[in-house]
Amino acid sequence: MAQETKAREDTGTDGAGHTAVGRRVTRLEGAAKVTGKTVYADDMKLPGMLHAKALYAPHAHARIKSIDTAKARAAPGVYAVITADDLPDYKRNDSNRQGLIFPDKEVLFRGQPVAAVLSEDPHVAEQAVEMIEAEFEALPAVLDAVAAMEEDSPLVREPLHDVDRSEERGHVSVETEETEQEGEPSNIASSAPFARGDVEAGFAQADVVIDRTWRSAMVHQSYIEPHSTIADYDISGELRVWTSTQAPFYIRDELAQAFGLPESRIRITATEVGGGFGGKIYLTELMVAALAIAVQRPVKYIMSRKDDMLAGTPAPYAHIELKTGMKRDGTLTALQSRLIYDSGAFPGAPMLPGCMLIGGYYRCDNIDIKGYEVLTNKVSVGALRAPGAHNATFAIESQMDMMANELGLDPLEVRLKNAVGEGDPMPNGQAYPAIGLRECLEAIADSDVWRRRREVEATPNRGVGLAVGGWLGGLQPASAIVCLNADGTLNVTVGSADITGSNTSFQQIVAEVLKVPLDMVNVETGDTRTAPYAGMSAGSKTVYTVGRAVKEAAEDVRQQMFELAMKRLEVEPEDMEVADGQVQVKGAPDRAMTFQRFGKLSTNFGAPFPVIVGRGSITARKMAPGFSAQAADVEVDPETGQVTLHGYAIAQDAGFAINPLSVEGQMQGGASQGIGIALWEEMQYDQHGRLLNANLLDYRLPTARDLPPIETIIVEVPSEEGPYGARIVGEPSIVAGAAAIGNAIDNAVGTRVDEVPITPERLLRAMGKL
Amino acid sequence: MRTFEYRTPETIDEAISLLKEAGGSARPLAGGTDLVVQMKERATRFPYPETIVSLDRVAELRTIDFSDSDGLRIGSGATMSDVATHPAIQERYTALAEGAGVVGSLQTMNMATIGGNVCNAAPSADSAPPLLVYEAEAVIAGPNGRRSLPIAELFRGPGETALESGELLAELRLPVPPAGTGAVYERNTPRKQMDIAVVGVGVSLTLSGDTIGRARVALGAVAPTPRRAQAAEAALEGQPANDETFAKAAEAAATDDCSPITDIRASAEYRRHLVKVMTARLLAQAANRAKGTS
Repeated sequence: MAQETKAREDTGTDGAGHTAVGRRVTRLEGAAKVTGKTVYADDMKLPGMLHAKALYAPHAHARIKSIDTAKARAAPGVYAVITADDLPDYKRNDSNRQGLIFPDKEVLFRGQPVAAVLSEDPHVAEQAVEMIEAEFEALPAVLDAVAAMEEDSPLVREPLHDVDRSEERGHVSVETEETEQEGEPSNIASSAPFARGDVEAGFAQADVVIDRTWRSAMVHQSYIEPHSTIADYDISGELRVWTSTQAPFYIRDELAQAFGLPESRIRITATEVGGGFGGKIYLTELMVAALAIAVQRPVKYIMSRKDDMLAGTPAPYAHIELKTGMKRDGTLTALQSRLIYDSGAFPGAPMLPGCMLIGGYYRCDNIDIKGYEVLTNKVSVGALRAPGAHNATFAIESQMDMMANELGLDPLEVRLKNAVGEGDPMPNGQAYPAIGLRECLEAIADSDVWRRRREVEATPNRGVGLAVGGWLGGLQPASAIVCLNADGTLNVTVGSADITGSNTSFQQIVAEVLKVPLDMVNVETGDTRTAPYAGMSAGSKTVYTVGRAVKEAAEDVRQQMFELAMKRLEVEPEDMEVADGQVQVKGAPDRAMTFQRFGKLSTNFGAPFPVIVGRGSITARKMAPGFSAQAADVEVDPETGQVTLHGYAIAQDAGFAINPLSVEGQMQGGASQGIGIALWEEMQYDQHGRLLNANLLDYRLPTARDLPPIETIIVEVPSEEGPYGARIVGEPSIVAGAAAIGNAIDNAVGTRVDEVPITPERLLRAMGKL
Repeated sequence: MRTFEYRTPETIDEAISLLKEAGGSARPLAGGTDLVVQMKERATRFPYPETIVSLDRVAELRTIDFSDSDGLRIGSGATMSDVATHPAIQERYTALAEGAGVVGSLQTMNMATIGGNVCNAAPSADSAPPLLVYEAEAVIAGPNGRRSLPIAELFRGPGETALESGELLAELRLPVPPAGTGAVYERNTPRKQMDIAVVGVGVSLTLSGDTIGRARVALGAVAPTPRRAQAAEAALEGQPANDETFAKAAEAAATDDCSPITDIRASAEYRRHLVKVMTARLLAQAANRAKGTS
């Protein structure tokens, strides 16, 4: 793969004198993963454990007439069959997917769990599910979000009440006004307006106005490990859950509320996550915990791939109407948009971030944006890496190219002219902090893909396209503990699930603060009882927030050692420094105490020093939005409509790349997903709300052979608060792919497809050849 | 997955007697890349099997032989990788090597067998159009001995073959292609691997000079079974091997030789369009190969 080489990666230090951060480091847990030693939730077995298999609703919308479990209960090897009637008491909220374990009156989407069979043998449980006799009376199913908004549309469900939106806030923390469904029953769960200036006046000033509608398919996170959860409860009131999640503390809080248990009696272990991408926050844990409570035995529930595709929380279909105006000189004069996100049967669609981004990339005095979150009888949606962002970005970034083309302007120059920077307002009026959008555009101009574009364009049916994409990021408090061991090594404990290599970055931060080799530092994600609090690993905020706490905890260790060394080194802490695994007098390395000595003196029998434990605890209130610019080099087969990618480049602002290897991995991984969204990925439903491709054969993720080498360019515009200037990294890379590839295809063959994925058939039709 | 009996015979005869004994409730298992997935997904086209007769230990099913006199014999248990990498197949049965070499992923090809690919009888089976253009004979072993059928007659419908209960596909026999033959198989898929053919086209042209002597064209995924494209063949034989001829044959294939359906992979209209585009392209490619070999 093409890599940007940086001097600091090959030498011990960079210009700022860093010894550990800023270096390319392989993952702490990498060896265990590649040798198959990692224990995932499905690898775990507890004594007396039962396996749960669920019965999934066979209708998109139906009344439950009866559920007869007698035959299933009588089947040999079946321990229990649990329906809504057999559940333990819990705080039920039918308005939230996660607040309703099994429905008792009405099913709202095909695949909604309605009962579970428990057995020591998973195969017995699976067979017994088929013996449950459930009778349903089909009700009208509403499947099209746009039609669902009509006043005369049948209703998807009973009206909502007390919608819990706490999970959504974990992904993006912005100040917005959102109006929940109220008044006349309707399928619109919520809506939000954002406006400034006068769009009509803005369009009047424009030399070109483009008004188009853009559609993006429902897509699935498609983590390799499906949802996997084990729960155990004992009569003392102790609930333990091992689950593949990005959000152990969030689950603890939700389960505590649901069952009325104190948080101190609940212990959530985030097992190694085999891919999450926003889809592994909180979904199956309430059901599995309730089953464990019901039978007082450990219960394991592992979704099959099909289960996960039917009943996970995929990312929404969106229908986005966008009207934009531009002056001959490239000034964006007005932007008007109506964004409709299909939320499925429960609220939770990421409409707000879509609104914030569609009007958040470019300065524009006149905006009028309305977002709608609309219910349908499909599986309800959740987060997928920058939730809602790619849908909106596909619209605005396609139209930026269209306007530039109409005016004969360079697409890169037009973007640079309008790109937002520090102080510019977002659609909600909030001002941007320092961001690197312009710097990313400048960097992508230097990529191989963009520099070769004239040459590439000269080849028939080849083209190069460009788009930007960003994410505002989430904010939550965080904490960390760093302990000095007897031999001078260090243990770091955090509460954040490591889904991206964040623990490796924490290792680097501690090694940097204490000037020790990396292998003297180990990092552990504790469970919710042993680890200090951290927010969910979502919203790209883990290194940005928990990293700060880790840095503070390491600095605390350093300060404690300085103070303890005062007597022996006979200088004040201000005159001490850490270097080469010791505390030394500044400029006099022979007047020193090694970390090992501190370790011994703080742990041995009769030791004089107290144990050295550093503590870091922060709150995060300042956003550090991340942007990327991406360029694609495509070739279209004009007779089949097939698109081949010859090259791809991404420039992303990481603020400061604590681990450039990991940052590049995030950039390439996100770009790959963006490419998948652009060309292949689509959950296809029939007119009965049946998912037709609930498998990874017909739901196509790009394979290694479908992807070109992805050139990565790290841009560094420091954030104000992040450790060493780091800012959010994980999500921005997925956002621009759909638009970049759409623009490249248009550049290749002069045809624009207004719907992703851009399948060969859609492209051929748009080209007028079918 | 539901429970079932698992049997592991070591000879064809033993396998047949086990199948016969179990009646219609038994299924033979080869690589399992279709059957096991179908069983897990409850998507078998036949009743869920009570007995699985594994062919894994039946060594005689795995051989591949070629001789100039007898042609090619492929045991039904030969894996797609065995077929795709066999030197004689790569040299003389290029279309078959190409068909076997695109199934699933490398891991799939190491497990999947040619017999399984044929007997699963998917309209999109990648080995089928090549076997059709090479006019393979299917040798079937059963309780009453062996019989043989032209491969075209083995396919009866989606998932349906001419095999009777208790019968096994033992081997495939392919005659030696005449001198001056060029053949090619290609499929269209949205992804480059791990996919199912939207359309598959196999072509074999035997040239004498610039004239097409014998033409064989076969299509996958555009009819209830993989099938020969006789209208296209008729438009080719005796004609000059040039783009004009190929265009006419491609038109005939798209118009008269297929009856595609619309499903989640593509519309019928797009499939028909692809038949035309791909047939024309592959005929030109086969002609080039024929010239290279003559």
